[in-house]
Amino acid sequence: MEIFDIYLLEAVLNGLLLGGLLALLSLGLNLIFGVIDVVWICYAELIMCGMYAVYYLHVQYHWPLYAAMPAAIVIVAMLGVLLHQLVIKPVLAAEPINQLLVTGGVLFFLQAAATLAFGIDFKNLGVSLPAVRIGEMSFSAARLIAFGAAVLGVLGLFVFLRKTYLGTAIRAISQDRAIMPLMGVSPGRIYTLTSALGGALAGLGSCLLVLQYDVHPAIGLSFGPITFLICVMGGLGSMAGGLIAAFVFAQFISVGGFFFAVEWGYVIAFAFFIGMMFVRPQGLFRR
Amino acid sequence: MTFIRPLAAMAALALAVAAQAQQKEIKIGFIYDVSGPFAGGGSEPAQIGTKAIVDYVNEHGGVAGYKIVPIFADAQSKVDVAINEMTRLIDQEKVDIISGVYSSAQCVPMVQQADARKKFTWLNVCVATAVFKDKKLQYVFRPQAHSDQFGAWSCDYITHYAKSKFGTDPKNLRVAIIHEDGPYGVGVAAGNEAQCKKDGLNIVLKEGYSATAPDLSSLVTKLKRARPDVLLHTGYNPDITLFLRQAKEQGLKFKAVIGHGAGHSQFDKLSQTFGKDVNYFHTIDPAAAQLLDPKTLKPGVWAMTQEMVKRYQAVKGPGELPPHVSMGFNNTWILLNDVLPRAIKKYGGFDSESLRKAALETDIPVGGTMQGYGVKFYPPGHPLAGQNERAFPVVMQFVDGKARIVWPMAIASEPVLPFPKGHAYAP
Repeated sequence: MEIFDIYLLEAVLNGLLLGGLLALLSLGLNLIFGVIDVVWICYAELIMCGMYAVYYLHVQYHWPLYAAMPAAIVIVAMLGVLLHQLVIKPVLAAEPINQLLVTGGVLFFLQAAATLAFGIDFKNLGVSLPAVRIGEMSFSAARLIAFGAAVLGVLGLFVFLRKTYLGTAIRAISQDRAIMPLMGVSPGRIYTLTSALGGALAGLGSCLLVLQYDVHPAIGLSFGPITFLICVMGGLGSMAGGLIAAFVFAQFISVGGFFFAVEWGYVIAFAFFIGMMFVRPQGLFRR
Repeated sequence: MTFIRPLAAMAALALAVAAQAQQKEIKIGFIYDVSGPFAGGGSEPAQIGTKAIVDYVNEHGGVAGYKIVPIFADAQSKVDVAINEMTRLIDQEKVDIISGVYSSAQCVPMVQQADARKKFTWLNVCVATAVFKDKKLQYVFRPQAHSDQFGAWSCDYITHYAKSKFGTDPKNLRVAIIHEDGPYGVGVAAGNEAQCKKDGLNIVLKEGYSATAPDLSSLVTKLKRARPDVLLHTGYNPDITLFLRQAKEQGLKFKAVIGHGAGHSQFDKLSQTFGKDVNYFHTIDPAAAQLLDPKTLKPGVWAMTQEMVKRYQAVKGPGELPPHVSMGFNNTWILLNDVLPRAIKKYGGFDSESLRKAALETDIPVGGTMQGYGVKFYPPGHPLAGQNERAFPVVMQFVDGKARIVWPMAIASEPVLPFPKGHAYAP
C-alpha cells in the first residue's frame, strides 16, 4: 500500500465530515453541562425522538422536509424544556451521581417508550441524496450538509453567546451561579432557555442523522456513548474542547480504520481517550 | 363426625385432580429479542413463528395430553439480559425447557450455563458453530444449520458460477469478506475464508466491524481500493443499512453480494429502505419453508408450512415471510412433534435426561421437516455434539421482490449474476 494515496485522502476527508457530525452532537450536551452543570446522559435519546418526529411528519403526514425538520427542532427543544422542568429541576441540588442516574433513567424510559409507541421496525425517510464526486473520491451529500450545519451551528451559538443579552446572561451564570441572581438574572429562566437551546441542537442533529441512518428505538446506542466521551475528552462544558475532540476522535476512527482494521480505529480512539484521562483528567480544555 | 370422612376424601380427590392438572403442563421458556436492534433483524419474526406453532399444537390437544405453556422473555438484544432471563426462567418460572435465542453472541455464553445446570436447551435460530465446537455440551441441541456451513456455501456458489456467469476462473475472482464482529459474524467469516481458500478464490479483504459502529466509511474506502468482484457480507440490520448507504454514497462498485442470514434475510425491510438497489441481492439461511417445492417434502409437511404462512400473515399482514419465521415455527415443531412425545412415551417424562435421550434418537430424513432438512444430532464425543448433522442452508436471491432458491443446484433456479448494467452497485 502506498502511504499517501487517493484513498487515504478520502479517509481523511470522511473523518473530517464525521468529525463535523460528532461536533454538532457534542455541542448541545456541552452547552447544557456548561450552564446547568448536569450531564444529560439521555441526550442521544432526545435525538432519537427528533428523528422519529421528522419521520412521522414527513412520511406519515406528508409534510415537506423543509417544514418537518424545523418542526422537529421545535419539538425536541420543547422536550428539552420538559426534561428540565420535570426531571432535572428537582435534582439540581442533588449529588452529581444522582443527577446522572436520573438522566440515565430517562434514557431507558425513552427507549422503552419509543419501542412501545413506534415499534421495533427500522424506519427511514426514503430520501436518497446524491453523492458528491471529486475525481476518484466520492462523498455523502448528507454528511457534507451535516458538516455545514455543524459549522453554522457553532458559529450561530458563538454569536448568540457573545453578542446577545441572553447569551451574555448564560455565560455569566455558567461562570458564577451564586452572584448572578443578585444582579437580576433569574437562574431558572436561564436554565430553561439553555435546555430549550440544547434540545434544539439535539433536534438539529436529529434532522441531519435521519438523512443518513434508519430510525429505531436503539439508535441512541450508536451515538450516545461516543458523544459523551468526546465531551469528556474535550473537557465537559467546554464547547471549543468538544469541537476539537470530535475532530480528533473522528480522525482516529477514520484514518485508524483505514490503516488497520475498522475495529482498530475505534480501539485506537478509545485508547487515546483513556490515555488522555490519565494525562488530563479534566479534559483537553478545562472549563 | 360422619361427614368428615367424605369431606376429607373429596378434598383429597380435589387436590389430586389439581395436582394432575398441574402436571399436565409443560413450561417452555422462549428467549428472543423483541426490543433493541436484533428485534428488527429477525428475532421478532422468529418469536411470531414460535408462538404460532405453540398455539397450533395446543389447539390440537397439546403434546401427549400435555398443554404447552410458553413463557416468552425479551433479551433486549443484550447478552447479559439474555443470561439473566435464562436464569429467571429456570429459577423463578421453573420452566422445563429453554428454547429460542436469536443471537449467537447470546447463545455462546448462555448454553454453557444452561448445560452446567443440566437444563435441556433447544436452539432455534442462532447459528455460530462456536456454540457447540469442542464444548462437549450434553443437554443442548440445535436443529438449525451452523455458521461454518453458511460460510462454505457462499464460496461454493460463486465458485460454481465463476466461469459461466463472471467469465473468469475462480482464482481471478476477487472476493471481499466483511462481517460484524460477534460470534455469528466471526463464525461465518471464518467459514468463508476457509472454503474460499479451498476453492481457490482470490480473497482481497477480510475485515470485521462492530454492528453498532456509527461510521463505516473507512471500510468502504478500503473496499474501493481492494476492488472486489463479490462481497460476502454477514451483519444485522442497522449495520447492513449503514454499510449499503455509505457504499453507494462513496461509489463502491461490485458485481454481486452474498449475505448470510440475519439482516440480509429481512428483505422486506431492505427493500423498503433501498428499493431497487437491493434487487438481485442474495442471502444464505435455512430455506424459508414457503419457498420449497412441496413435492420434495414428506406427506403432511407442506400443510404445516401453509399453516405457518396463514398464521404469520394474520399477525403481520401479507408479504414475503423472512426465513426466521420458519426457524421459529419449524424448529419448535421438531421439538414438540418429535423429541417431546418420545421423551414422554419412551422415557416417562420431560425432565432433561429424558429429553436428552429422546433428542439423541431423533432420526428425521431429508424432506421430513418444513425447511427441507432432516434431523439427526451429532452424538456425544463428536466435536459438534448436539448439532444437527442433516441441517443445511440454501442460497436465496431476491429478484423483483420475490425470493427464490438458487443453490444447491438440485433445487435451484437460475440466478441473476452479475448485477445487470444500470444496477446501483454494478461497475
